[in-house]
Amino acid sequence: MEATIEKISEKSIKDKIIDFIQEEVPDHMNSFFYCMGATPLVLFMVAAATGVLMTFYYIPYSEKAYASVKAINSEIYLGWFIRGLHKVSVNLMIFTLFLHILRVFITRAYKAPGELKWLIGIGLFFTTLAMGFTGYSLVYDQVSYWGMTVVMNMAEEMPLFGPPLAYLLRGGADVSEITLLRLYDLHTKLLPMLLILLIGGHIIAVRVLGFAKMEEAEGKHLFYPEHAMKVGLIAVGLLIVMVNLVMIFPPTIGQMANPAEVASNVAPPWYFSAVYKWITIAPRQPALFGILIFSAVFAFYPYIDRFLTQRGFTMGRINMAIGASAILTFAILTLWNIIL
Amino acid sequence: MGVINDDVSRRKFLSSAFMAVGLGFGLGAFGLRFLQFLSPKVKEKRFEEILVGTVNELSKSDAMPMEIAGSKLLLLKTDAGLVAFSRKCTDLGCLVSWDKARQQFICPCHQGVYDRNGKNIAGPPPRPLDRFQIVTKGENIYVRLKA
Repeated sequence: MEATIEKISEKSIKDKIIDFIQEEVPDHMNSFFYCMGATPLVLFMVAAATGVLMTFYYIPYSEKAYASVKAINSEIYLGWFIRGLHKVSVNLMIFTLFLHILRVFITRAYKAPGELKWLIGIGLFFTTLAMGFTGYSLVYDQVSYWGMTVVMNMAEEMPLFGPPLAYLLRGGADVSEITLLRLYDLHTKLLPMLLILLIGGHIIAVRVLGFAKMEEAEGKHLFYPEHAMKVGLIAVGLLIVMVNLVMIFPPTIGQMANPAEVASNVAPPWYFSAVYKWITIAPRQPALFGILIFSAVFAFYPYIDRFLTQRGFTMGRINMAIGASAILTFAILTLWNIIL
Repeated sequence: MGVINDDVSRRKFLSSAFMAVGLGFGLGAFGLRFLQFLSPKVKEKRFEEILVGTVNELSKSDAMPMEIAGSKLLLLKTDAGLVAFSRKCTDLGCLVSWDKARQQFICPCHQGVYDRNGKNIAGPPPRPLDRFQIVTKGENIYVRLKA
């Protein structure tokens, strides 16, 4: 009799895990519009898995890097598929991060006490972009080489910390084989570690500080099984979309890096197109300071919002206007870059 | 009693502050050494005069790109005689190339344009192309650069 009672009070490991992750989720999270945070997480997992696979074939040395990527793409069994999944998942991850940030911005979900969520999220966003940059540098085609050169020189133009940072990244005064090794290290070790720490921090912050509250009162549902199943559904959907995208757009590779000649068609991937166009049309110093100031305002927006709210501005409407014009500017710069 | 308690907490505070400062110095020294490890030594470069050709050879062609000890340059006859332009775009370090038909230097990265005298005329470049000094000794032409 006693033994049975003990058995009943003892929980299985599965129940313990469920208890650990269990939480009440507000009903507005039923809408896909509010589920965009888990999406980049799923995509990151795919990118991480395929990325680790590719490190078994990639050679981070300037004379062999391009050939090894080419081998992954055309010689190694299913290499094109793994590389394709990596590229597609990263592109979708950045795209859904844009959407996630936009949703948080427009619904002002960063409001107190959620500032920390926003700050860690901004760290995640910039680290992801850094992963994008270091990633396409490793291919060592023309875009990689001249992209590296341009980005390092942009870093150098930054005030104060710019020159030492550029020197550290390049491992010298010019782009060389040391640079490729450093970018490889950043892409496959330091930045992923940082990304995983930030993702953990972001999720813990969301759990501790709670989900953003919507204006109107609403019901709640359980994280497990309802919400977890929904995220699982999204993950399965994403996998189907990704596999289809890889089949329709198999990964390509540009011309090999040539330090003696710039090809006329070097252009960064779509997520940097707007910035690329911006530094092409604006004078150099104002362009770079513009990027710095924009990033700072973006990072500390919750505090700017609070400051303005206290002075009687209706931030809901202002954010809608800023969000709309940001999308418009991004779209115009990107399209302009593609057309011209 | 309150005074004694205060003393204890002060001692505690001082000892942890001491520990924190020590730890900070220790980790800071480590961090500094790590950064030094990551900064490769700069090899001292000295100016050298390097033979690029004779007057006869160079007068034949209009523009001659070449690479000497990591410096990419382009010899070009301008209004003021032969000039050795650095091909490094003064904007963000891409390579300019000479467009013979337009008689201009073009940087494909951000559409920078320089005229035949290396003056920046369009796009983002903030200043004219850099030049290397040319030394003529008899028939031979040398370029003075850091190697």
